[in-house]
Amino acid sequence: MALTLPPDVGVPLSWPSQPGNGLRRSRGLGRALRVLLALALALWFILPLVPLALWAFADRWSFPAVLPQAWGWDGVRTALAQGAVPAFGHSLLLGLLVSAFATPLGVLAARALAYHRVPFAPAVSVMLFAPLALPAFVAALGLNVVLLRLHVPAFAGVVLLLMVYALPYTSYTMRVAYGAHDLAIEEEARLLGASPWQLMWRVQLPLLAPALARAAFLAFLVGWSDYVITLLVGGGTIVTVPLLVAAAAAGTGNDATVALLSAAAVLPPLVLLLGLGRFGRRPNGGRP
Amino acid sequence: MNGTVTVEGLSKSFPGTSTPVLDDVNLSVEAGSCTALLGPSGAGKSTLLRAVSGLEVPDAGRVLVGGQDMAGVKPERRGMAMVQQRPLLFPHLNVLDNIAFAGTVRGVPKRTARVDAAEFLDLVQLEGFGRRQVTALSGGQAQRVAIARALAARPSVLLLDEPFSALDPELRSAMHALLAELRRRLNPTILMVTHDRSEAAVVAENIALFSGGRILQHSSVELMYSRPASLEASRLMGGANEIPGTVCNGSHHSALGVLPLPCDTAWPTGPGILLARQESIEVSAADGAGLQATISGLQGMGPRRLVTLDAAGVVLRAEVPWGRGLAVGENVTMHIPTSALAVVDDSDTAHLYADADERPSLTSRGRAALTGVGH
Repeated sequence: MALTLPPDVGVPLSWPSQPGNGLRRSRGLGRALRVLLALALALWFILPLVPLALWAFADRWSFPAVLPQAWGWDGVRTALAQGAVPAFGHSLLLGLLVSAFATPLGVLAARALAYHRVPFAPAVSVMLFAPLALPAFVAALGLNVVLLRLHVPAFAGVVLLLMVYALPYTSYTMRVAYGAHDLAIEEEARLLGASPWQLMWRVQLPLLAPALARAAFLAFLVGWSDYVITLLVGGGTIVTVPLLVAAAAAGTGNDATVALLSAAAVLPPLVLLLGLGRFGRRPNGGRP
Repeated sequence: MNGTVTVEGLSKSFPGTSTPVLDDVNLSVEAGSCTALLGPSGAGKSTLLRAVSGLEVPDAGRVLVGGQDMAGVKPERRGMAMVQQRPLLFPHLNVLDNIAFAGTVRGVPKRTARVDAAEFLDLVQLEGFGRRQVTALSGGQAQRVAIARALAARPSVLLLDEPFSALDPELRSAMHALLAELRRRLNPTILMVTHDRSEAAVVAENIALFSGGRILQHSSVELMYSRPASLEASRLMGGANEIPGTVCNGSHHSALGVLPLPCDTAWPTGPGILLARQESIEVSAADGAGLQATISGLQGMGPRRLVTLDAAGVVLRAEVPWGRGLAVGENVTMHIPTSALAVVDDSDTAHLYADADERPSLTSRGRAALTGVGH
């Protein structure tokens, strides 16, 4: 081609993640304080888990001993005997179901509020947040009667209520995501020939995947960690990990079991969180 | 699909606005031509582009492409592509897959679409950039990828919405050259929104001048400058000289004296504003033949100077090149070529004329409404 353009390979667009921004660089005392603060925060998160880990495998640990005097598997055996495996199964199912229902609902609510003219939009936004202001105990007691009269099965009732409690998190997360989402990119895709279905699969989903993963994770946590609604609406028929931990903690001499169950309860969310950090990022287009 | 674009009586209003964004817009664009939609911000240019593309549904009127009414045709089925001010590349796809997007959504196998995309990448002179992240591109590179992506969709109509306005002048010139080359090779019909008169003149053959949701004039670039259809069109095209007077026997009579008008137009007798492009006025030493004037102001304009002249009480402006020493207060002679003159109605007083209700407005091409493309 006879046409010659300038090389134009000079300065790429500046992105916040680029190193070397002088305003963000800390030196000397500032740098030392930053490192200290980071270490203190790490300790703050890790320290509570240390006694749990020690207790979990301590068959005997009396005051004033610093470390357990006898190590063993009593805690594990007791936990398994008390139904830890089915409880984990129930919690996992609850978390996944709440996540599976509350995430799409949050997406729909957020998209409607972000892009469409919703009548009384401020009131709708407040309504979506209302479950956070309502104590779970009050909601469970009040609605339990309704659910019983409607003959809603206990498990379905628990999922239904927890889904409502997860909705503020999913809708808020997705609203933030839609706020940052550029509709002009979707318009470009349409003009390039993408049907609405192709637009959803090939543009919207990849771009919103990180926010969807965050919303789903938060909804999972609501189901995974709930105690009050599962107890009251489930009527004691659905034994989940929090219920098992609470029951064990109410008794005496169950320190190892409580510690083991509590530490184990942290694992699934932790794995999901790590997965979120690894896979929840916006997919990057190719290699530089 | 033939790329002829016809817009008939298009109107569009948005809720909460008192005036329509588009008000009975009519426009006809030949296949393979490039038309610039020029006008100030908020004039309705981008809305027209969006209505043509199907991204906005007009309140009234219709859009025809190749004679086919586009009402009810979805944007993805209109055979168009758009490049906007921002490149709007898909951030989750690399450069090559961005360009291959149109092919893959049409059902072309990915490998074939990528081979095709690589050719378009070569066309915009970005060979070897295919595997790059779009975030690793400079502004000019990203815009070139956006153009390649649009062209790879094989559009019969290419819509450009201020695609180069965010680029620096040098890069913008390079993109103009690139666009000319792409037109030569692929020949799509181009509708390009811009608020830059120079860019419109460089890129397009025709200009549709917008103001307040209406097209003031649609004609060739040359006529747009030399024969504005109204005082407003003249001002929007940067015309700086308006001299009130009367037309009589093909000449304009004013304080400047009697100036013969171009003989290619039948100028009706009556009051009219004389327009004279400032770029055409020549300023020379006071002893030359022509109109005598005194310099009352000088202002630098990059490669040229804007000289304010006082001629028999009429203030005129002329753009002259550097090189000759001019000073405020200096007496000079100015020459206005006949070809640079045109006459239009005075929009402020036209309604006061005796036959104001019956007669069409006086334009610089005679007393007739201008709607079609002039060549």
